[in-house]
Amino acid sequence: MATWDELSEALEDYTASCNTNDRLRKMQRDWTRTLHFICSDTDVAFTMVVEAGEITGTPAGHHGVPDIVVTTDSETFCDMFWGDLNPVAKYLRGEIAVRGSQEDVMRLDAISYVIWPDS
Amino acid sequence: MSQPGTGEVHLRRSVGTATATATSAGLAFAAIDYLGVVSIMAYAPGASGWLAIGIGAGLVFLVAGVFSELNGLYPTAAGIRLYLGRALGTRIALTATFTYMTTVVLVIAADAFLIGAAVRYVLHEPAALAYVWIVVLLAVATAANLRGVVLAGWVQTVVTYVVLSSTAIVSVIAIFHVGGSFRTPLHLFGAKPLSGIQAIAFALFLFAAFEWVTTTAEEARGPKVITRALFLAPLLIWACSTLFLLGLSHLVPFASLHHSAYPQLLLGKAALGTVGELWMLAITVLTALNTFNGGFLVASRFIYAAAREGNLPSTMARLNLNAVPWVAVLVLAGSSAILAALIFATGQWLLLVAVGATLEAGIYALASASLVILRRKEQRDRPFRLARGRGLAIAGTVIFSVFALATGLADPANSSRFSPEPLLVIVMLASLSALYVNVGLPRVQARAAGRRAAAAAARPSRRPARPTTVESDPTVEPMEP
Repeated sequence: MATWDELSEALEDYTASCNTNDRLRKMQRDWTRTLHFICSDTDVAFTMVVEAGEITGTPAGHHGVPDIVVTTDSETFCDMFWGDLNPVAKYLRGEIAVRGSQEDVMRLDAISYVIWPDS
Repeated sequence: MSQPGTGEVHLRRSVGTATATATSAGLAFAAIDYLGVVSIMAYAPGASGWLAIGIGAGLVFLVAGVFSELNGLYPTAAGIRLYLGRALGTRIALTATFTYMTTVVLVIAADAFLIGAAVRYVLHEPAALAYVWIVVLLAVATAANLRGVVLAGWVQTVVTYVVLSSTAIVSVIAIFHVGGSFRTPLHLFGAKPLSGIQAIAFALFLFAAFEWVTTTAEEARGPKVITRALFLAPLLIWACSTLFLLGLSHLVPFASLHHSAYPQLLLGKAALGTVGELWMLAITVLTALNTFNGGFLVASRFIYAAAREGNLPSTMARLNLNAVPWVAVLVLAGSSAILAALIFATGQWLLLVAVGATLEAGIYALASASLVILRRKEQRDRPFRLARGRGLAIAGTVIFSVFALATGLADPANSSRFSPEPLLVIVMLASLSALYVNVGLPRVQARAAGRRAAAAAARPSRRPARPTTVESDPTVEPMEP
């Protein structure tokens, strides 16, 4: 079970990796979304705001109306944001639950794929 | 873990019943459905095909019930892959899903061919030009996909309702047109009982792919939206196809329909002259919007996910700068172009209808069998539970297996004889899938594991190690130094 501090650290690293990746920024240039995350084991909730492909904030709690809602346990979120697991494999096994359009779900996975192609 | 889709989540953009119903009906109603109706007429004498479509619709309600319960259990875009996997095991699920996905290529190729043939016919061009139209259509669809152009939900909804209502209106005009007649409207099993069964089996094809709407479960406004769409869309297709069949049987001689790739144009012309012909041509071209948009999207994203999961070579997951899996899109477009060329060269478009009908009935049988197994394995609540589900699902497994055989051994080009060709095509596709899953896939997975291991060695986890804390046990005396 990961704490919010651990998640914050992972999110900080993920944000830096995304925002400094030129190819990803170009690919996601038309992607402006609000993502809500829910840790099913700790009930911790947080938000990720993406504007034109740039992650502009990852505050605790839920803010705004979401385009995507992702639910899984806190450890999986930590591993995902550190690039230590393949989100698609978890998703296809039903271990990560997502609400949102298929296109947005693919874009979310594409972020991990572009940053860590061998995850 | 909380189950997705079982509660209300308010998303900024979500799909309601009208859009989900249009998506389901739009995925099912392609240009090849007009040929599907002609295939029914080959087995159902006179106007009796309406009975076959009615019985087929009744059976499709059973399918809707089965998919509603499965979707309630696993409301995810991974849909059928997940149901089959949980019920029958990963290998069978992968083999079945890869085979099933070939229907997408089949429908895209068939639609490209049928639209090309229809445009050439109306413009009175030489037959060879049809293939040029096919290539142009596929090239436009591929380019749009590669640029990341996605049809907005409302456009898809409008297109679907325009296609269905136009087909219904032209059909009603044909039904009330003077000079026609309805012959033997109740003789579905009159000529040969087996022909009646084959007619019903072909009627199932008209609804093929309506269940793909379950892939949008994650964007549905509530858990009941998909269930409603699964029951409403077959009603729309039933009404439209029945009217089309009655219009054809009333006004157009079967002899002129049987070897035509554009029966809808013949109906339009018979009902309203050149205006009707052009109207039906426009509708035929419109169907391509849904087929190409839905087909390319569903199949290319499936390929992407399968490649990311390690079940297809990683090349298939490559993304372009529009975040589109470009290799997957090109493979789909290339396969569709080759298949369309084969249809063009051989004129075997009715074989495609038989193959599609067999595949669809087979998938319905597998889905019903999955529900029987998952009723035992999964006790948790779901938003929809099929009444008398176990018995109905067992019945569905048997009935749809019989229908798969009925169309698999049919020859719609000559309804008086049997032909193993449709079944052989499917056996070949399934064997190739099984061969890949059992022989090719372990190698693909081994290569992927090797790459991951190498990457992990080069880039160890950046996640900071958690400090190991030793819990003090109050019952244990601290050791003396």
